[in-house]
Amino acid sequence: MDHAIGDSPGAVKPVVLEANNLTLRFGGVTALNGVSLTILDDELLAVIGPNGAGKTSLLNSLCGFYQPQEGRIRFQGKDVIGQAPHQIAGDGLIRTFQGTHLFSGMTVLDNIMVGRHVHMKTGLLKSFCYYPWAHKEELEHREFVEEIIDFLEIEAIRHSIVGSLGYGLRKRVDLARALAMEPKALLMDEPMAGMNTEEKEDLARFILDIREAQKIPVVIVEHDMGVIMDIADRIAVLDFGSKIGEGTPEEIQKNEAVINAYLGGH
Amino acid sequence: MALQPSGVFFENYSHDKALIKTKYQWLSLAIFGIFLLLVPFLFGPRIIAVANIMIIMAVVAVGLQITTGYAGQINLGQAAFMGVGAYTAGLVATQFSLPFWISIPLGGVAAAAFGYIFGLSAVRIKGFYLALTTIAAQFIFHFAILNLPTSWFGGSNGLTLEPASLFGFEFKTDSSFYYLALIICTVMVIGAFGIVRSRYGRAFVAVRDDDVASSMMGINVVATKASAFLVGAFFAGIGGGLWAYYVRFVSVDQFTLFNSVWFVAMIIVGGSGSIVGALIGVFLIRLINELVTSIGPVVSEAFPFIGGDIVFAAMNIILGGVICLFVIYEPKGLMYRWNIMKTSYRIWPFPH
Repeated sequence: MDHAIGDSPGAVKPVVLEANNLTLRFGGVTALNGVSLTILDDELLAVIGPNGAGKTSLLNSLCGFYQPQEGRIRFQGKDVIGQAPHQIAGDGLIRTFQGTHLFSGMTVLDNIMVGRHVHMKTGLLKSFCYYPWAHKEELEHREFVEEIIDFLEIEAIRHSIVGSLGYGLRKRVDLARALAMEPKALLMDEPMAGMNTEEKEDLARFILDIREAQKIPVVIVEHDMGVIMDIADRIAVLDFGSKIGEGTPEEIQKNEAVINAYLGGH
Repeated sequence: MALQPSGVFFENYSHDKALIKTKYQWLSLAIFGIFLLLVPFLFGPRIIAVANIMIIMAVVAVGLQITTGYAGQINLGQAAFMGVGAYTAGLVATQFSLPFWISIPLGGVAAAAFGYIFGLSAVRIKGFYLALTTIAAQFIFHFAILNLPTSWFGGSNGLTLEPASLFGFEFKTDSSFYYLALIICTVMVIGAFGIVRSRYGRAFVAVRDDDVASSMMGINVVATKASAFLVGAFFAGIGGGLWAYYVRFVSVDQFTLFNSVWFVAMIIVGGSGSIVGALIGVFLIRLINELVTSIGPVVSEAFPFIGGDIVFAAMNIILGGVICLFVIYEPKGLMYRWNIMKTSYRIWPFPH
């Protein structure tokens, strides 16, 4: 099960998330065709590829939203396929969304508190009474959430309704909500899409900080080659549902198949 | 969320989380509470009777607010859930002569169980289809009560109850029952606030806003939708139990689809997603209802050619009109408007 990666001599990192030979079809369309992917502990893996290559399908399969027809996904040694999405999320495999899937009627604070849901225990009867049990639990988790708010520098908007915020801030709230779940692995679906350069730089810094502080593997699906080449440890390239290359950013930049499919096209 | 008044700062999370944040809010709540306590002394028997009905309906409407306003699950069967509560409370009170403080909660539990079953259907269907399923709850309730043996629920004759009593004191008069209902309603409203501002309440809103994202956040969407129905039906059952002890007669035609629609109307008028909104909705809809009932006979006497039948019809037309106007001009309800006014007052003279 253990794999070593090339550029860190001596360090053997355990496999956290492993996808084997995934095939996902929608009717006659094959979205994923025998894709295998291994994500090691504490690494930043980027998944790139042209539009329609199957990047988001791969991510949706990994977090249990799609059920691939063939193949196997294991997260921390446990099978993912066949489990409900909320169980997988409860195990610590957390994702952020392309665009935003925030709860737009709630405040920023409540959105992030939703991320604490799996760590809270109060039942209906105790909620009905509220004091003291539910109140005590609320305050404990509020402290945790405030640390994340502090880390992502969104203190000023904590009481704003999410629907009233701009796109860049929403993305940050989305990330905060994922972090509140204390992920054991974080999957990010196009976190940089639709952002300006400054927002991208901010977000890239946050992603690196998250790795630094939490030592968790991060998988990023992204279009922006500049950012990816800068921050990724390893890159996997998809095209028409198949993996056509995998390696360090330098290797990918020299890979013929990748250049033809993707980089050469631009 | 409305802005806080200027000069109010929080020094701990507990204060930030509190429902009542300033001393003026405490003061106005206290004045309102005293006013509620004085209602039986200030007004005549008719107003007290109206107040009793309002309080009972408030419990039911707050429940519907949780199911529909917070969790976003349309429910056109709230009156049936209320009926299940009323019949259960009536049955255990007459057959086993249990006191009201056991039979009313039992009514709540029975309604919750009934609601939970229909909540499970919300797992697979949404919107219009869910609305139809909850209407089915309404008809199943009627069918079951009318066709089960008369010795069980009294069939079409209904059930007759003794008044609620506590330590030998009987809540016979409208004024004494008013206090009983007020206490139970207060407990239920505080409980509703507890539920909506803790873990479950957030899960309800999360499922309403985006059920895909909430499943990815580790929320069990199936269980959450079903428990939204469970909570809403429990409130309806408690309201039904109160109703049984207030009217002291329970029959199926007190819990029709019409009543369910009025509960939805109360939520729309008050503002969905707000407990206070539900209370305001109950007050306004019942107020209009009572006004039409009082003015109707006067009008038909002054203009005999209209005829007395017109009164019932006019009530429905006027209330229907009110709902239409709200859906067109104020779809988010009065609480939304009130919050906007409050915020703009607090940041005046700046526009935003």
